[in-house]
Amino acid sequence: MNIRLLAAVLAARLVGWVSRMSGRGGSSLPGLIARRVYPSVLRDLAAKLEWGAILLTGTNGKTTTAAMVRHIIETEGRPLLSNRAGANLILGLTATLVQAERWRIRPRADIALLETDEATMPRAGEEIQPRLIIVTNFFRDQLDRYGELTTTVRYVARGIESLGPGGVLVLNADDPQAAQLGYGRPDVLYFGLEGEAAKTAEAQGYDAMDARFCPRCGTELNYARRYYAHLGHYLCPDCGWRRPDPHIAVVRWSRKDHEMWVRIHGQVESFQWRLPGIYNLYNEAAAIAAGAAMGSRPTAIRESLATFRPAFGRMETLMAGDTRLWLALVKNPVGFNQVLSAVFEEAHEGGFSVMIVINDRYADGRDVSWLWDVDFEHWTEKLSPRRWYVSGLRARDMAVRLKYAGVPSDQVTVDENVNRILGKAMDQTGGETLYILPTYTAMLEVRQELTQLGLVRHFREG
Amino acid sequence: MAERRLNILHLYPENMNLYGDRGNVLALAQRARWREIPARIVTREVGQPVDWDAVDLVFMGGGEDTHQARIADDFLALGRELASRLQDGLPMLAICGAYQLLGRYYETADRTQLPGLNYLDVWTEAGDTRAIGDVVSYTDLPIEPRSLVGFENHGGRTFLGSRARPLGEVTLGQGNNGEDRSEGAVQDRVIATYLHGSLLPKNPHLADLLLMWALMNRGIDDRLEPLAADEEFGAHETILSRSRNS
Ligand SMILES: [Zn+2]
Repeated sequence: MNIRLLAAVLAARLVGWVSRMSGRGGSSLPGLIARRVYPSVLRDLAAKLEWGAILLTGTNGKTTTAAMVRHIIETEGRPLLSNRAGANLILGLTATLVQAERWRIRPRADIALLETDEATMPRAGEEIQPRLIIVTNFFRDQLDRYGELTTTVRYVARGIESLGPGGVLVLNADDPQAAQLGYGRPDVLYFGLEGEAAKTAEAQGYDAMDARFCPRCGTELNYARRYYAHLGHYLCPDCGWRRPDPHIAVVRWSRKDHEMWVRIHGQVESFQWRLPGIYNLYNEAAAIAAGAAMGSRPTAIRESLATFRPAFGRMETLMAGDTRLWLALVKNPVGFNQVLSAVFEEAHEGGFSVMIVINDRYADGRDVSWLWDVDFEHWTEKLSPRRWYVSGLRARDMAVRLKYAGVPSDQVTVDENVNRILGKAMDQTGGETLYILPTYTAMLEVRQELTQLGLVRHFREG
Repeated sequence: MAERRLNILHLYPENMNLYGDRGNVLALAQRARWREIPARIVTREVGQPVDWDAVDLVFMGGGEDTHQARIADDFLALGRELASRLQDGLPMLAICGAYQLLGRYYETADRTQLPGLNYLDVWTEAGDTRAIGDVVSYTDLPIEPRSLVGFENHGGRTFLGSRARPLGEVTLGQGNNGEDRSEGAVQDRVIATYLHGSLLPKNPHLADLLLMWALMNRGIDDRLEPLAADEEFGAHETILSRSRNS
């Protein structure tokens, strides 16, 4: 046993224990301490995983996809460790591995499933030497943190360089930037959609502006089909680069029956599709592809996903008396449009109200400009909630956004205090559904309040 | 008398819309429409023609480097006509990348000078660090209140020559270059700035100044009727209060 590894792990656990005792959860301190004591700690622990590590990255859908992949692996009874959604930088990944066990030094798990921040991919790849990498998609997100989209894609590309022989790369075929990462590689498993694209329910307005240009030559791409934003069946009119044929293709889906049909290496299987929205088709397809990449049989994946329940806050619902609460995180324009699309899919079932909570702390993105790239003009025409509730540190900005999208001021309640407005909104929504759409730190506040009210006993972050 | 309507030209919305800058165009159009001034948004991408006589107000935002490179040649080709119109009083709002492109040049970290349109008397040098954060500045423009608020996110440091005057003086944030407290530039009826946020929705007084300039340019010398702006100034106040507390 390497004595420095031992010291690093024990010191980190002690620090973690102290910070939990003092009520500060979710700290990156254990990771920091471990790396100070022994800089190779993550490298050493990851190398000892019997099967290996999975890195899951991309702008949207990481947490939901990771939860599905985790469920598939756990159903098969394979020992797995995974990180919390927020712990996806190098310190968080390190903390996850050093704190995986209480008494043992090395994790007992065969597999580490690590949701990884895009900018952390080069370092995570280099230290962890993953066996499987999953890339969901690339959208513009929190530019004050990453800089530009092309920079983000480059980070992920560098992370992929660490994928060794025998490794598999799972990529979204419908996202030009993600698909391009597999160019010329034999070890790629692509997933994508092949059903009819909806013409009405999806926003086709300004949300399409992220990456519609050929990642190889810069020419504007032509689309035969577009599912949302820049995801679809594209072809470059100049250099001829086109969407690769997916190995895992969602060929048909029915919202009514909560069912999707997926072709896996030529064989079509039906799967349960519980989470609303096209983007959750992608998340589930990514998870199925990951399962297939790990050698799970399609029927086993199907049976596993039939018992999948999303983490609260990822479009799970909760009853508060006779009021139904529905929570979904919003963090960037494409994601927000998709969440509004999902609300639209569901909302015809009865009366409802919508509550939007916008914070601008670091984890939320400090610039709220992105609210202006959400296609509220499109959605406020289709959605008619009884009332809009607006809260968070930037409640006032959100109120302006709704005003300019044409929502009359007397239909909007504004209050920066989340707890107060949540109580009021729940009172006024009695017997109906309250859709709650918070940014990341706002989500934590909403959950904390719901826990205080005794509505959520405990929750897993993410 | 000329017809009371407005055409807003949004240059390169697909390539130059990095930080929700289309919010500015939405704000201009809505504030015109709420006063029953029909407003049309005309977009123009690379290679498309422009009917300059039908343009009352120009907007252009910032883009990623790769996107900015994609439009640069086209913009410089368009530039001669644009610059002469701007000199004649056509109003324009230029943000971030557009601000830099209107200037004399942009000097990269390796000292290469990328030419700008050479309309604004400003130049930009690559900085060591990005200026990122909330901004409050105070302007000399004839608007009430004098405060402007927004969010800056730029790597370039811009310096003003004698023909350009600063849009405002910062009390929170870095501004043009982090040295002289200036933020943005004003020359003729062109307002250039680093402020996103989006800028105009929470600075409705600045939006109205641009609209008034646009009407004047069309030959309509009338005042804009006031609009209730409680929400807008509420958002304005959110940032102002941060400068008081910092
Ligand atoms: Zn091409």
